[in-house]
Amino acid sequence: MPQAPKLAPTLGELLQERGVSRRAFLKYASYLSAVMALPAGSASALAEGLANARRQSVIWLSFQECTGCTESLTRSFSPTLESLIFDLISLDYHHTLQAASGEAAEKAREAAMAENKGKYVVVVDGAVPTKDGGLYSTIAGVSNLDMLKATAKDAMAVIAVGTCAAFGGIPKARPNPTGAAAIDEIITDKPIINIPGCPPIPEAMAGVVSYLVSFVKLPELDHLRRPKAFFGETIHDRCYRRPFYERGLFAEGFDDAGARQGWCLYKVGCKGPVTYNACATLKWNGGVSFPIQSGHGCLGCSEPDFWDQGGFYRPLSTNLRDMGPALAGAALAGAALGAGAAWASRRHQESYQREQNPNEGDKK
Amino acid sequence: MTTQALHPSVSPQEPPRLTGMSEAVLAEVAARLAEVVAGASVPPIDLTAMPLTSEDRADLEQRLGRGEVFATVESAGRSQIWETQFSGVWFVRHFGENDRIASECIEFGAAPEILFSHRADMSAAARRLAAALQSADAREKTDH
Repeated sequence: MPQAPKLAPTLGELLQERGVSRRAFLKYASYLSAVMALPAGSASALAEGLANARRQSVIWLSFQECTGCTESLTRSFSPTLESLIFDLISLDYHHTLQAASGEAAEKAREAAMAENKGKYVVVVDGAVPTKDGGLYSTIAGVSNLDMLKATAKDAMAVIAVGTCAAFGGIPKARPNPTGAAAIDEIITDKPIINIPGCPPIPEAMAGVVSYLVSFVKLPELDHLRRPKAFFGETIHDRCYRRPFYERGLFAEGFDDAGARQGWCLYKVGCKGPVTYNACATLKWNGGVSFPIQSGHGCLGCSEPDFWDQGGFYRPLSTNLRDMGPALAGAALAGAALGAGAAWASRRHQESYQREQNPNEGDKK
Repeated sequence: MTTQALHPSVSPQEPPRLTGMSEAVLAEVAARLAEVVAGASVPPIDLTAMPLTSEDRADLEQRLGRGEVFATVESAGRSQIWETQFSGVWFVRHFGENDRIASECIEFGAAPEILFSHRADMSAAARRLAAALQSADAREKTDH
């Protein structure tokens, strides 16, 4: 009589062998519930779900990217609470992190796909070049396009990490010489979660994977397939400088009195009012700061085509022609709240740029 | 025309530091404690993502005060748990890397969940202890 295959240990059993108690799960679950704004009291269910789940096989594909997304996930964690994410997953293939290389690496990917058919999660960072048959980026002689299609075929879900994978990002910026495309333009028959950002917030990556492992379902997504827990509000909604915006107090340059007093950066190009991300609440580098707190406007890096929105230092109100209707509507609402900031900012921005680059006009 | 001229009544100053949020949280704490006393089980209040200023947090902590119990849990980093001066109202604070606060909440009831031993841990502990005693016994027999 054939023996039933032995089930892999649960995460609870696996970590117990290493002396990690259920308290660690509960603590991790409390932390995730907080950052994902899950309903109050759901930490216990999340902890039980995690402890009884088995390690999730993850195949991480890196295409047209800069490795910033991987850096974000790995460099932001030390062996404490946040590092538990690496105990929850079995990272079966990842160019940057795996020890194997060459044929052995590709064999590891194929083995993980065969062993976990229909159950593994594919994480992709980077856009995919599609022009000329996708020949602009290959791995082991296989184009990114073909590798993505083959690997995603038997996946449970695909997570597009970073703005390049989610929306095409910088490789797709005009004139897009390689025909770079987002993952959901290529894979259309699998559940896809986009976690954009350049790079994405590590908690968003860890949170989504943990949610998937624990509840075996996708978190609630917005119209751009982004998890609402992290992308449900704009940077502006939760910005600590918003009281200045409401009062019409704006920095008009990066070294003026307003900037020194921490006033709103709307007029120096902040894209916070139209950018959905959690930087203002979760922050970066272990909660130290985020761009606006460090004195620079939000670039809008978690939005589609952020690189082609007319300039990082132009106020939103000057870019309306380049934007889609939704973005323009949000910008208009912001401009109205900003009490006439649009006209004044456009005028000021021009004069400010003239002051900063007095010879620029001569070059044209 | 300057921006300030549009808002003559507004002086350039910091946003208010005590926002009234601590007052709102305290009202919620009182309501939930009353429910617990009536026999209900109530969810914790998660403070992590609330727009509390540091002054709001200090005010909340100070007004809830410290009670008779203070505990430190070392599991995936450090956690501090204390009963406030209001019995049944617990402050639970988890630290992440670099000792930053990863999450914090106010729990209600006899004791917060994290202080209880989990049945799975107790089962493992029973097995471990039995194995340790067995190997000690075996060592003793070998020595004799």
